[in-house]
Amino acid sequence: MDFFFLQVQAQNSAENYFPIVIQILFAIGLLTLMIFGSDLLGPKRKTADKLQNFESGIEIKGNARQPIAIKYFLVAILFVLFDVEVIFFYPYAINFRALKWEGFLAVVLFVSSFLAGFIYIFKKGALKWEE
Amino acid sequence: MDIKAYIALSLTLFTTGIIGVLVRRNAIIVFMCVELMLNAVNLLLVAFSKMHAVSPAAKASLTYASDAQIFVFFIMIVAAAEVSVGLAIIVMMYRNTHSIDVNFLNRLKN
Amino acid sequence: MNTQIIFILLSLMAIGSAVMMLASKNPVKSILWLIVVFFAISGHYILLNAQFLAVVNIIVYAGAIMVLFLFVVMLMNLNAETEPVKNYRLQFIGVISGGSLLLILLTFLMRTPVAQPVQMKVGESGLIGKLGMTLFQNYVLPFEISSVLFLSAMVGAVIIGKRN
Repeated sequence: MDFFFLQVQAQNSAENYFPIVIQILFAIGLLTLMIFGSDLLGPKRKTADKLQNFESGIEIKGNARQPIAIKYFLVAILFVLFDVEVIFFYPYAINFRALKWEGFLAVVLFVSSFLAGFIYIFKKGALKWEE
Repeated sequence: MDIKAYIALSLTLFTTGIIGVLVRRNAIIVFMCVELMLNAVNLLLVAFSKMHAVSPAAKASLTYASDAQIFVFFIMIVAAAEVSVGLAIIVMMYRNTHSIDVNFLNRLKN
Repeated sequence: MNTQIIFILLSLMAIGSAVMMLASKNPVKSILWLIVVFFAISGHYILLNAQFLAVVNIIVYAGAIMVLFLFVVMLMNLNAETEPVKNYRLQFIGVISGGSLLLILLTFLMRTPVAQPVQMKVGESGLIGKLGMTLFQNYVLPFEISSVLFLSAMVGAVIIGKRN
């Protein structure tokens, strides 16, 4: 077993990710085994009543995929923009000390522009749910 | 791996995107094909950066090999901004016309 | 040898899923296939030792952008078929022209004398620390400009998305 662990060297290499690959494969394999295994081994009774979706005894009405209200959409868009903003903070956080005040100034400028956008969004009422 | 393998892979993905833009008429799928093309270019940029990482110029300069990865980073950022505005346009188009067929949009021509 | 096998597997996964994305009629399914393509490309990044990009690719593309796409599809209730009128001739022409483009490009690629190996396994340039130093020392201006781009994207999304 030490084949996996002792070979992880100090230098960075793609082979260091081999344990992660094994873990992913193991997780996928376990899931497939459990889902399809229980499907294969378990008893099955396929009648029309049993195959219906469970809705607490009430008859099924229509499709489960109903259109979502459009007001959620703007929130989703703004979420994506702020989500991508956070990506820039990881490289900064790693080099926080090495970058000194210049780096801090750059990030403050960056964030202030986002803050201006956030204030604009708030003033426009794009995040208001009611009304 | 040879660089040619990466170029061939990127070309294939890129052409798949082009075929999608030509063939599909659903505006969302067309948009997704554009994303696929951007990703193909990203992959090629990273492969080239790793090709140049072994060159003597890269040994001299510290940042030589990471430049292309910064470019890819910016492409992803621009893609996110582009998607947010583009999808807003598609949703508004759907609200006004109840269709997201791109052929429907040629009404602007006349 | 091992990396070659992984490369071929990931490439087949990426190309196959991309083709499936085009072929599936249901928009939700094609979004899910595109997510598979992004995961395959992330695998390529890890193979190329660009770990930070692999993570960012998953967070930004699979995590944010594709979720937004799924959201829009759910918003429009597109799970039924939405391309009823078929024009097979145009589809055929599209596939033929795209395929011939690929053929020409690949032919020229085979004839180019470039044959430099890609450094795959080792190297520090893909780590978040090195990338951060490059980003904040050499590319500060594009960094700031991207914040302006985001500001404009926010304003654009709010103006387009909020009617009244």
